[in-house]
Amino acid sequence: MDLKKIAQQNIDMDMTPMIDCVFLLMIFFVLVIDLSQKNLEDLILPRAEFQEPDDTPPDNRPIINVLQNGSVIYNQDVVYDPTDPAKSNIALIKGLLKGIREKGLSAIPPTIHLKEEKVGARTAMLIDDPILIRADKWTEWHYIGEIMKQCSQPDVGFWKVELAMSEQDKETGQKNKKIQ
Amino acid sequence: MTALEDAQEEVKPDMTPMIDVVFLMIIFFICIDFKVLESKLPAYLPKDKGSQSDVIEPVEQLSIGVYVEAAGTPEYPPNVKKGDLNPNNKRPFRYKLLNHKTRWEVGPKPLFDIKEVEKELEKIAKAPESQIPDKVTGGKKLMGCVIEAHTGTFYEDVAKTADAAHNAGFLEINFGGGLGGMK
Repeated sequence: MDLKKIAQQNIDMDMTPMIDCVFLLMIFFVLVIDLSQKNLEDLILPRAEFQEPDDTPPDNRPIINVLQNGSVIYNQDVVYDPTDPAKSNIALIKGLLKGIREKGLSAIPPTIHLKEEKVGARTAMLIDDPILIRADKWTEWHYIGEIMKQCSQPDVGFWKVELAMSEQDKETGQKNKKIQ
Repeated sequence: MTALEDAQEEVKPDMTPMIDVVFLMIIFFICIDFKVLESKLPAYLPKDKGSQSDVIEPVEQLSIGVYVEAAGTPEYPPNVKKGDLNPNNKRPFRYKLLNHKTRWEVGPKPLFDIKEVEKELEKIAKAPESQIPDKVTGGKKLMGCVIEAHTGTFYEDVAKTADAAHNAGFLEINFGGGLGGMK
């Protein structure tokens, strides 16, 4: 064997440890990525002047996003869109809310809990868990009002409706008084 | 005519008034009986589901009206027009609303700045006449308030009003005034 052949054999690399490391890194990043943000649309919320941040949001709280044009988005799906004739029926919002209720009740363990409450002269089974409405600051109020109206329907029963606000107005840069 | 014959004629009474009275009494009792029967008739009525049998007492609330003074002008990013989709997220481009002005009516008092609304709500919340009886504890509590958003108002207007009301101490915040109306 001459010297040239020996040199050629030495440059072969063992790729196995590098592939092992790459796979380990992939697994790490897949696990670390924050999936809780996936159902939050990129909106500019009104600035809360006084309220403090919600550090411990309830688990499995449904989040309804409302865009400036009134489109209702849940888990990245456009459920209702007033500008699209195929999706401009208000019943779609009610269907979404009823679907959230039924899915939450049938989950194991249930993510939605019912409570018997007296509403006027009647008793109704209302949802004891909150629902969050996140709307852009320049969304016309009647779109949010319609969602709240649908939430209050007897067969829906979301009576704890939360309105999302932000610590900082990303449009103007103004901050909440309590964090300044 | 003999005396006996005269006496026999006198004992014939006129039955007509008596029969009249008897018929009247029969009619009276028949009518009375019918009324009693009516109440005894079985009736299969729908159960009380829709109607309210309880009386709900009106509750005193502070009315906070939100009105639009100037609708404002939407400003889109350069070279973007209404309805264009953002290629990054496939959502419509958002706009800034310039020169949008709101007017509030806290009770009968018109206000033109959210700071004034905050001060007015704090003043009302501290006033003793804003305390109403609390049926649960038997004591007193601050009355609730209802935010009435009118045509053309935005989420920003209503959310800031709710923020100010909550900061002033109002715990019972209701939303009224329909749905804010369509423009």
